[in-house]
Amino acid sequence: MKREPGMAYNMKTLNKVFAVLSIVFMFATVWMVLDDYIRPWKAVQVKALEIKKKVLLEKVKAEETSIDGEKVKAAQEAIVAAEAEIAKNEENLKELNSKLSKAVKAVYVQNMYKGVVTSQKNATQYKFEHAEDAKDKSGAKKYKAKFDELVETEKVAVDELKAYQQTESQVRAEITKSEEALIKAKKEMDDLVGAKERLLTAIAQTDKNPVWLLRNSPFIDYLDPTVKITQYVINKVHDDRYFQAVPRVDRCTTCHVFIDQKGFEDQPQPYKTHPNIDALAVGENSAHPIKEFGCTSCHQGEGHRVNDFNAVVHTPRNEEQKKEWMEKYHWHEPHKIPQPMYRTQDTEAACIKCHKDEVRLSFAPRHNEGRELIETYGCYGCHKIDGIAGWKELPKPGPSLAKIKGKTNKEFLKNWIWSPHTYNPKSKMPAFFNQANNSNAEFQRLNIAEVNSMAEYIWSKSADYAPFKKFEGGNKEKGKQLVQTIGCLGCHEIAGVDAPYDSVKAKKASYLSAIGSKVNPDWLVSWLKKPSHYDPTTIMPSFRLSDRDANDIASYLLSFKNTKFEQMEFTSLDKQARDELLLEYFSQFDTMETANANLAKLSDEERTHELGYRSIGKYGCYSCHNIQGFEPDRAPIGPELTKVGSKPVEQFGFGHQKIEHSRHAWIEAHLEQPSRWDIGVPKPFKDLTKMPNFYLEKEEIQAITTYLVGLVGDKVPLLGQNRLSANKKLAQEGKAVAVKYNCQGCHKIDDWGGYITKAYEDDLNQGPPYLVKEGHRVQTDWLYDFLRNVHPIRSYVKVRMPTFNFSTDEINKLIAYFQADADQGTFVEMDEYLTWEPGEKEAAKKLWNDLACVTCHTGGFNNETPQAPNLHFAKKRLRPTWIQKWLTNPSAMMEYTVMPNFWENGTISASEGVLGDDPQRQIRALTKYILEFSYDRNPQPWPKDGQ
Amino acid sequence: MKELINFLSIPQYAFTSLLILFFIGIKKIDFVGSKKFGKILFWGTIIFFLWAMTDSVFFATISWPDNIPIGILIAIVLWSTWFSIHKAVENDARIAKGEPPIEGTPENREKVWTWPNLVYTELFAIIACTIFLVVWAILFKAPLEEPANPTWAPNPAKAPWYFLGLQEMLVYFDPWLAGVVLPGMIIVGLCAIPYIDINPLGNGYYTFKQRKFAITTFLFGWLVLWIFLIIVGTFLRGPNWTFYGPFEFWDHHKVVAENNINLSEIFWIKLLNVGLPQNIFLREILGILGTIGYFASVPLITKYWGKNYLKRMGNIRYYLMIGLMLVMMSLPIKMYLRWLINLKYIVFMPEFEFNI
Repeated sequence: MKREPGMAYNMKTLNKVFAVLSIVFMFATVWMVLDDYIRPWKAVQVKALEIKKKVLLEKVKAEETSIDGEKVKAAQEAIVAAEAEIAKNEENLKELNSKLSKAVKAVYVQNMYKGVVTSQKNATQYKFEHAEDAKDKSGAKKYKAKFDELVETEKVAVDELKAYQQTESQVRAEITKSEEALIKAKKEMDDLVGAKERLLTAIAQTDKNPVWLLRNSPFIDYLDPTVKITQYVINKVHDDRYFQAVPRVDRCTTCHVFIDQKGFEDQPQPYKTHPNIDALAVGENSAHPIKEFGCTSCHQGEGHRVNDFNAVVHTPRNEEQKKEWMEKYHWHEPHKIPQPMYRTQDTEAACIKCHKDEVRLSFAPRHNEGRELIETYGCYGCHKIDGIAGWKELPKPGPSLAKIKGKTNKEFLKNWIWSPHTYNPKSKMPAFFNQANNSNAEFQRLNIAEVNSMAEYIWSKSADYAPFKKFEGGNKEKGKQLVQTIGCLGCHEIAGVDAPYDSVKAKKASYLSAIGSKVNPDWLVSWLKKPSHYDPTTIMPSFRLSDRDANDIASYLLSFKNTKFEQMEFTSLDKQARDELLLEYFSQFDTMETANANLAKLSDEERTHELGYRSIGKYGCYSCHNIQGFEPDRAPIGPELTKVGSKPVEQFGFGHQKIEHSRHAWIEAHLEQPSRWDIGVPKPFKDLTKMPNFYLEKEEIQAITTYLVGLVGDKVPLLGQNRLSANKKLAQEGKAVAVKYNCQGCHKIDDWGGYITKAYEDDLNQGPPYLVKEGHRVQTDWLYDFLRNVHPIRSYVKVRMPTFNFSTDEINKLIAYFQADADQGTFVEMDEYLTWEPGEKEAAKKLWNDLACVTCHTGGFNNETPQAPNLHFAKKRLRPTWIQKWLTNPSAMMEYTVMPNFWENGTISASEGVLGDDPQRQIRALTKYILEFSYDRNPQPWPKDGQ
Repeated sequence: MKELINFLSIPQYAFTSLLILFFIGIKKIDFVGSKKFGKILFWGTIIFFLWAMTDSVFFATISWPDNIPIGILIAIVLWSTWFSIHKAVENDARIAKGEPPIEGTPENREKVWTWPNLVYTELFAIIACTIFLVVWAILFKAPLEEPANPTWAPNPAKAPWYFLGLQEMLVYFDPWLAGVVLPGMIIVGLCAIPYIDINPLGNGYYTFKQRKFAITTFLFGWLVLWIFLIIVGTFLRGPNWTFYGPFEFWDHHKVVAENNINLSEIFWIKLLNVGLPQNIFLREILGILGTIGYFASVPLITKYWGKNYLKRMGNIRYYLMIGLMLVMMSLPIKMYLRWLINLKYIVFMPEFEFNI
């Protein structure tokens, strides 16, 4: 092709290239705009409109069926009639209307005039004041005169305005009066069909009409779109942006459109209403309204992201859901996300972040369950968990081994350490040995040497213990009855008990299944009689058993034997294995030569004890058991879990296990089989994972996991924390004491605990009493005395209140707990109940007789079997205000009580003609009467030795 | 095959192979510049990539949004290098026959108008680039990650692609050298080229034979030292800056044995079997002498090799050039010392923050 002079290219070709490029560029631009415009959440919101329409239509249908057609017809006729009436007076109405428009105009004009005058007056006032300040006397005078004049003018203007306004309202009243019938008819009509019409209006708003399209179209949708991102800015929880804490922003409602609206409970996600919206969360009046707490305060996740389903870091609740999401949303494991959303079942994990000071959370059963399990299995023994209310006070989870010699034999100890679950399938002592990582022959040889040495060491350090009672044999059957009835089951699960007692399954203390294969009978009798004789720190209380009872119970418990376990013979100490292990310890920092020399210095026994000491240190036995030779403040061996919920997933070692890479999956797998991380890793003996296997149930693992993933390091601002008053904080300390001694194992304290009452479902009156607002019920001094010296209250109940080994501090805390929970002060104003008004005493006596109180409260009146507490001791025990409340409605306080509701919640008179039939006065009189005949003392306490 | 490639990509082997190939290429420059070689290179690369893409690990690395521009870049580097050599070889053949280079023919010396020949085509380029960037941005979205956390750095933490060569240098040098001195020298050296190189040959036309030394030196620094390090840093360095072959999975837990020792330790402890001297200058004497010796070897170089250059360029230009050359060569030297004898530092004086 020939080129033109001065041209390198053909101009036509250039133009063509330009044309093509321009067109491609245009398409690219359109594509860019569309790509920016089309967002997943918009589709969700558009579908939400349809769902809303559907739900509203259903409501309209429901509304339609309730509308009475006849009535509508009548209302319609009334309207027509009223309109006809008005039409008759058309002339008059016309005149009124023209009057009204004149009046309205006059008010408007006058208002404007008054406005001008007022502003001139104010301006003149300013000028006058300014002139005065500037000492401009002539100016001041001039402006003052003008100001006074304007004040007068304004007064006149205001008066005129008021007159016009009066005229206007008069005319309006006249018009209304002439239309009164019509307005009334229309109101009736509205009452009938108004709701439906309003629903129809709401449905019309869900239409995707041209205006809707325009408002939401590209380029225009910045003005006033209806499809838009919605968000909550939350001050109560902060996002840690590393150099600054910023309020969290949650945009979850962009897709979860109806989360705060009732009526969408049955819709699929994300259109569902939040569960428990009124009480727990989201709802305006719930404990955690969405405006204050947003969503991620509890659920976690990246609430500010709206890109797509995965950006928010949803976490599937189980494998099925994971699969479903993978197909639907291309779900994948999150990368580099500090806090993915909690699984639905783990949501309660978030509670503790703000509710730090509380020992139990009434609204979070799974959280409580996890916490209880950690307390039961004693995870806190080896793992430091800081900042949890009440855990500093917990004793070591395992029993003291300081006097083990007096309790059992050495062979038992060895077999027990080797395989606790062979002896007791529900053992809370975990299994350290025979695990996936230490079951080969070589490691077992070393493990056996360790177990032998540990047992020898513990034995050598154990003090002698001489039981103070001898086992003399007893009645097994009677023992069983006692075990079932006196309250052992509040803490222990015991093999062989009958229904319904077998339904309790308490976990607080050990499962008693083969005691006969374990303990020295004399020890058992002494222990039952007085636990603190053997171990002064034990929480096992005394049941004030007589010698006979203790022997009966012992003979029952001793009848359980584990023959398989008894026949186990523990391999004797392999001295070579022992020396090998010792050399390994000794050569940690020294050469082999020095280590050998050091070993040679030790005698045979010393070597065994040395290895025992080191092995106890290695496996952390001292963390749970009191063992002589280990300082009480020696650090526990497990890693700290205070912030395990914030530990980066990358820092969890998943070994060669094919497990989802998430915190909860790791913790669950770890609890299920702690040794699994060693599988396939050629670790030397000393480096094996030492976390033992608790053989937990699946539900237990899940509850513990829920609790642990909630232990996050986030700093919640004070605004977001649930800060307790000093009084309530003290109450929590008391609650921790209750947890320590397992009060809630027997008593249902308000809405918490009472597990043993499962055995008394037929007649709860035979079980331990519910403690409902106990701080209000009983007097401070009485409770203090009672916890020290237990005395009989309900002699007809077989379950015994045991005598605990409380410290004074603990008793005071318990009392503070009950009182704070009932918002109750300490002191009682008794005086006003000790003086009678004229005629009141006679009335009270009559009531006492009419209501036949003595039928049940027989104590001190006759010798019949009582069915209720002895009222002669009411004065020292009960608070008068409580007695009155109790009399007013007993079953409101204790749902199961047989006490009749004489006054039917204080609405009726219990005895005709008494005290003018005023229920309040009657109740008060009866209270005074009870207090008057009450003794000024407590009953004799139960003898502590049961004799 | 994949194993073999993984093995061959280990830096010491890859670098050595590249070095050998580079010098063979320089020797056989006529073949490299031929269309035949261009075709082999083109199809060879395409076939290799198509085959390699079937491997999930390779595909994941190459298609990671951050790495795509680097892939494009490498393709462009390959193409433009071959193209310039091709042109140069063509011209060299013409010059050998006594003809002027293609750029020097009368029809190519004719002048054309700026508008539309330049301005219009520049507009095309602008539009085409914009289209490319827009489409790219739509197809590969910028990832939205969590806010930066200074206590939780990504692993591997990589510099922008153009700094990955420097980051790779950090494997072999003290940060002070790899991060400050050497980059500074590169910039200063590049600025100095027009003043050092006063040879008028090759102005306005492609040639290789007339500028053999200059082009070889440039291509060595550019391809072997710079582009190669970027490729290694981008595609072959994974978590913990550990080396991973192109078909090797980036396992965070890969363990490699790397125990590097200093020259002073090799000298005093390994060879002489005495402890390290207290005096730090005595301790590092071998490294100090070696370094001084390295830079003092200029007269020797001059004697055997650079006489003509010295004459042509004059003292200042010549010694500047030799100095820059020596600094450039210190990189491969140190790399080989690391690979061969696990050398950490030639001179190790943390007391003065002076480690080379």
